[in-house]
Amino acid sequence: MSGRTHPPILPPQVRIKTFEPYAENLDDRMALYEASRCITCYEPPCKEACPTHIDIPEFIHRIKSGNYYGAAKVIRQSNIFGGECAYVCPVERLCEEKCVRNSLKDEPVAISLLQRFAFEKERKKGIIKFEKAPPKKKKVAVVGAGPAGLSAAYELARKGYKVTVFDSNPKAGGLMLYGILPWKASWEVAESEIKNILDYGIEFVPNKKVSDLKALLKEYGAVFIGAGTSKSAKLGIEGEDLKGVYPAQDFLYDVAKHLQKKGKAPDLKGKRVAIIGGGDTAIDASMASLRLGAERVYIIYRRSLAEMPAVPYGRKQAKEEGVEFLLLSSPVRIHGKNGAVAAIECVKMALGEPDQSGRRAVTPIKGSEFKMDIDVVIVAVGQKPDQEALKSFGLKLKNGLIETDNKFATSIKGVFAGGDVVNGGETVVKATAEGKLAAESIDQFLKGGSK
Amino acid sequence: MVSKPDISVKFCGYEIENPFLLSSAPPTCTGEMIQRAFKAGWGGAVTKTIKPDKTPVYDLKNRFGRMGIEDKQLVLFENIEEVSKRPVGTWVKEIKEIKKAFPDKLLVGSLMAEPKEDDWEDLARVISEAGVDMLELNFGCPHGMPERGMGAFCGQRPELIDSLTKAAKRGSTVPVMVKLTPNVTDIAYMAKTAEKAGADATSAINTVLGLIGVNIDTFEPMPSVDGKSTFGGMSGPGVKPIGMRCVAQIAQATNIPVSGIGGISTWKDAVEYLLIGAANVQVCTAVMWRGYRIVGDLVDGLTNYLSDKGFKSVNEIIGKTLPRLTSWSKLDKDWKVVANIDKDKCIKCGVCYIGCYDGGYQAIKFEPNTGKAAEVDEEKCDACSLCYLSCPVPGCITWKRVQQK
Repeated sequence: MSGRTHPPILPPQVRIKTFEPYAENLDDRMALYEASRCITCYEPPCKEACPTHIDIPEFIHRIKSGNYYGAAKVIRQSNIFGGECAYVCPVERLCEEKCVRNSLKDEPVAISLLQRFAFEKERKKGIIKFEKAPPKKKKVAVVGAGPAGLSAAYELARKGYKVTVFDSNPKAGGLMLYGILPWKASWEVAESEIKNILDYGIEFVPNKKVSDLKALLKEYGAVFIGAGTSKSAKLGIEGEDLKGVYPAQDFLYDVAKHLQKKGKAPDLKGKRVAIIGGGDTAIDASMASLRLGAERVYIIYRRSLAEMPAVPYGRKQAKEEGVEFLLLSSPVRIHGKNGAVAAIECVKMALGEPDQSGRRAVTPIKGSEFKMDIDVVIVAVGQKPDQEALKSFGLKLKNGLIETDNKFATSIKGVFAGGDVVNGGETVVKATAEGKLAAESIDQFLKGGSK
Repeated sequence: MVSKPDISVKFCGYEIENPFLLSSAPPTCTGEMIQRAFKAGWGGAVTKTIKPDKTPVYDLKNRFGRMGIEDKQLVLFENIEEVSKRPVGTWVKEIKEIKKAFPDKLLVGSLMAEPKEDDWEDLARVISEAGVDMLELNFGCPHGMPERGMGAFCGQRPELIDSLTKAAKRGSTVPVMVKLTPNVTDIAYMAKTAEKAGADATSAINTVLGLIGVNIDTFEPMPSVDGKSTFGGMSGPGVKPIGMRCVAQIAQATNIPVSGIGGISTWKDAVEYLLIGAANVQVCTAVMWRGYRIVGDLVDGLTNYLSDKGFKSVNEIIGKTLPRLTSWSKLDKDWKVVANIDKDKCIKCGVCYIGCYDGGYQAIKFEPNTGKAAEVDEEKCDACSLCYLSCPVPGCITWKRVQQK
């Protein structure tokens, strides 16, 4: 059987000179070929694996028939961030992992590339608009203009509610504009989709940090919180407060602001950077460090490659660009000199049996400590919501996240929440799906139906 | 050492080194081209159709169309090209040169003239005397020529097949083959008419009249000649089933050999034509697409096939399947099988399920995303074969014989 299409990618030494996208999209000919690889399964696992359940065989069929706009419509019907997701989804553990072609000893259909293709055709023509229900009197407030909040706002606006979205940043978009860097998805992608959403008659209030939910509930019939996870988890080791240690979320935010000419990123020229963690954020931080001119970039991860949560595609890109992987190593101490990072001390780890979650436990190997001279440490061992903001809401929390029932309702009547602030930090597509489902619950609530 | 199977075939008194001939078409436009084809290994060639010098011929720009899948995979090819523009004298000279260089190859002169017996008789005389081994009467070209009483105009009229075959036979010093058009109600009747008129062989099919497409941006029919078009002749893989049907019908109806034409691209296609009774095969479109060199695989593939199957000569397979072709009424209505899905091979794509559900007998059970293989409900299965044909996994769906009720 014919193999998967691999559009050209700029060589590593060229692409690390800028933050720009470096992978080409499919052209018409490649898209037809790739679309033809789809078996057009009936209710297939790829569709099931997508949190927004895009009808993947249907949109691919439409690309094959040359109905590109129709393909984009199928995607947008299920996922209002279908373009952004096409660029940033970790498809290797979602739709493409489940592609039936994998069982034919073949590579999966390049679903994300086909989705990008459909989106780019749509963007050129104008993003598809769907019908809106007649206006309702009731108003809904959305706190946080990330994918969860905007997805909920969009669904509610289409149902006729008057929606106001608040965000502490000057622009709507959340991590899509302040966390994801352009080589993954050009910001114009998210911006076009955000504009499309706001154009459904949604009011956006920038630079506004919401803390008083009670006051909001006086004016709005319901509130949706999609505040995201803007903070990084801490390592909890000695030296973490030294100058030159950056939480990954803050670091990526600073880089984004720097690129938007609204702030400053750390100067990493000629620096040795150690990134702690093995997730997609660690990979992003490593690639950003190279692009900021770092001389050596290490990813220090306590398990082996097999356990690494970052998707293989990202790992491959980072490795090609020169990021060095120190596996089965865990930092124990950051050494400082004159108040700034000077070295990192790690211990080698041994893999044990899988724990309840299926991941293999690790234990330090005594006496295996080693020390490396380092100038900068970026901590990417997990993310969490801004705890102060959460406390100000006065909602019931669980493990530092907002607790909700299965309909996204929080402990305060009329307040709903979804996305990273509830799930602890997942994906744009999961947040989009949760915003959409929460909007259904809010609609039921406002109609006086069962909560 | 095992001896190689003999792939030479006999045809109207000649022995040809292999059953692969170039049909009368662009690849046999000139003597130089035919000589190159012979050098590449073709067993024979039919010249592009020669017409009397007084008959005008035009080449439209442009004159081809294509229907494909995916990239450039050819399904159908269309042409609205006419016969050879070259003077009879040129052909006479080149025929002599070809035969001198390649005396053992089968060289067939293809002829066409207006439906006047004298013209056919004269042309047959001149070309046969030039040294060709056989003549082929082009009663098949379905575009352009029929509007002026030639090509399929003759092939669609039994009385002209009769009189013009007889006229050509009068003029010819060599065996005469009649090339038939599939654009008739009963091609077997036309073949019998040619046989009765004295034809030594038939060849079929000429191209199938069609319309390859319309450009939906410009509204032009294809191929476009300054925005307009006409119906043209279809060839290529898509016409093979039509060609096979016609050749089988002719083989069943006549006692003279039939040269099989229509959509032959590979040795497998050729084997199929030989099995249903073709004495040899003629190829054009596949050569236009990839060149004379394809004969290398045609010859080698056929030889290996015969060897694998234990045949000593290609003659053993000619017509082997023909007795198995019968009428619908004579097929066994009591024969019963049901589809069987191999649980281990099933990839759970649901393609068989949805086809059977919407276009069959609702006889397949499938629950998406449960990890369970599709399963046939043998009570409901009517063995139509839709699932078997649409399943993307080779060998996953097979037939199971069930007892007659």
